[in-house]
Amino acid sequence: MEKSSLELRDIAFSYGPVRALQGVTVRIEEGACGLLGPNGAGKSTLLRILLGFLRPDGGEGQVLGHDIRKDAFGIRRLVGYMPEDDCFLPGMDAVTFTAYFGELAGMPRQEAMKRAHDVLYYVGLGEARYRLLETYSAGMKQRLKLAQALVHDPKLLFLDEPTANLDPQGRVEILDLIKDISSKKDIRVLISSHILTDIEVTCAAVVILNQGRVAAQGDLAALRQIDYSLYELRIKGEKEPYLQALGRARCRVQETEDGLLKVYLPAAFDRRELFRLAAGLGVQIRHFVKSRTSLEDFFAKTVGVD
Amino acid sequence: MPIAEQGYVHWDGRLDVHRRPWRPIARLGIRLAFRRKFFKFVLGMAFLPTLVFAAGVYISERIDDFQEMIRNAGEFLVVNPEWFKHFYASDYLLFWMLIIMVLAGAGLISDDLRHNALQLYFARPLRKKDYLQGKLFTLAFFLLLLTLLPGILFILLKIIFSGSFAFLAEYPWIPASVAGWSLFVAGFFSLYTLAISSLSRNRRYASILIIAAYFLSDIFFGIFFGIFRDPHFALLSIKSNLQQVAAAFLGAKPFFDVPWEYSAVVLVALAGLAAYVLTRRVRGTEVIR
Repeated sequence: MEKSSLELRDIAFSYGPVRALQGVTVRIEEGACGLLGPNGAGKSTLLRILLGFLRPDGGEGQVLGHDIRKDAFGIRRLVGYMPEDDCFLPGMDAVTFTAYFGELAGMPRQEAMKRAHDVLYYVGLGEARYRLLETYSAGMKQRLKLAQALVHDPKLLFLDEPTANLDPQGRVEILDLIKDISSKKDIRVLISSHILTDIEVTCAAVVILNQGRVAAQGDLAALRQIDYSLYELRIKGEKEPYLQALGRARCRVQETEDGLLKVYLPAAFDRRELFRLAAGLGVQIRHFVKSRTSLEDFFAKTVGVD
Repeated sequence: MPIAEQGYVHWDGRLDVHRRPWRPIARLGIRLAFRRKFFKFVLGMAFLPTLVFAAGVYISERIDDFQEMIRNAGEFLVVNPEWFKHFYASDYLLFWMLIIMVLAGAGLISDDLRHNALQLYFARPLRKKDYLQGKLFTLAFFLLLLTLLPGILFILLKIIFSGSFAFLAEYPWIPASVAGWSLFVAGFFSLYTLAISSLSRNRRYASILIIAAYFLSDIFFGIFFGIFRDPHFALLSIKSNLQQVAAAFLGAKPFFDVPWEYSAVVLVALAGLAAYVLTRRVRGTEVIR
């Protein structure tokens, strides 16, 4: 098996005068990877290019060893795609639907039917597999989309907003499935999502796009540590002067409803300075814990939003 | 048991890279059509002319036995190109073919558009050509069932009942004409239906449009012909153009005093327009927002 799931070098693409992607160089290894970015960042365009719907204006790339310019069919045979929108064919049951798309991927008819039963059980639709798709709930439709993406046993899955429109329980179940697929089933996963916690839960690596360029990429744990560290504080005394002093020291502070202060320290900031500032203002620090930087924090900082 | 623990087994088969991907699409289209309400009834109604004309073939060979029944209708029981023209260009058959198109074809693309299914198709190793071929074959299957199959049946029955090949010796072009016309009308109606289906995301609107375009064109012909008495207005009518070309294919007398080539040009132009609409509306690059 190829070591890298996909590798893109200097990919550029324009919709007429609008530059959607420029200089995108990405390498994604095994496991699950999150594709993040604000609206208009180029995520969808990148997916279109990876699936072979669009030919890039410049650059080159491979998905599982297949050239994105020359071998779109080779890529689509190895890739499963779960779109964001509700997608189904009316008048069909889940088994027929899933087997149908297996057959379209190139599976023999009988094999596709047998496999459809297996994957529907896997995604938790075993009992409902003969029901008409029109009667499915939003959560069931999400699972069905995952089943059709898995039916031909792809090596790589593209999941576009896999937890959209799901209730909390359904979301947890889908995320469990994705974790299971990426960690135990030897299937690589690329998840495009706006829900950053979904990416945190399922992915070890992340690619962040912003304005058509790669803003950051790499191992999630390492990226969190790059520029700053996060501490949680509880203080006693005059809060406002202390917050102002932190602001002057270029620390970003968030206050939670229960009075917890989340303080983001710049890269070269000495944490002992927090105590010096507090002592100077007569403020007591009653609680001091180093916290993990969330992906949300990192994302906000990377794409320049609050 | 948590769903993630229910197991996932890798498939050890190999994907067929030299397959014909339009086949499953066509097969599914045919299956789904049979599941629609009234479809079997409509198909049965569309086969009525076949039964009647098949009986006609039998009677034509036993004309003396049925003299009492047929009286002055003997001219209609001579199996010749005119007889085939009356079968293929009858308002009744064309009407039921249209209804079959509505039931089996109106939703073929509009349902895919409405339910965002195109992105699932084109995420597979599937070209637009394969997708459209599959959809076209679905419709062509039903249309050929109503045209080519009866035509072959009539010729075979004629040979069997007459006990000779005299019919084929007299009209050697008839088998080719039957096949040619069946393919032409199946191709035209399939493109016509699919193009209209691709124009709307709502199957009902597509159904209305398929019927309306067909009948309104004929109504306009009727109005203009009534006013100006000029048979060239037949070119406005889809049905009249089909009847003209059917007569030409079968080597029979045309219905209207208009060169059949004009009608053929109109129909081919409409089919070309339909093909253009299809290529514009079914686009792989727009499948992901």
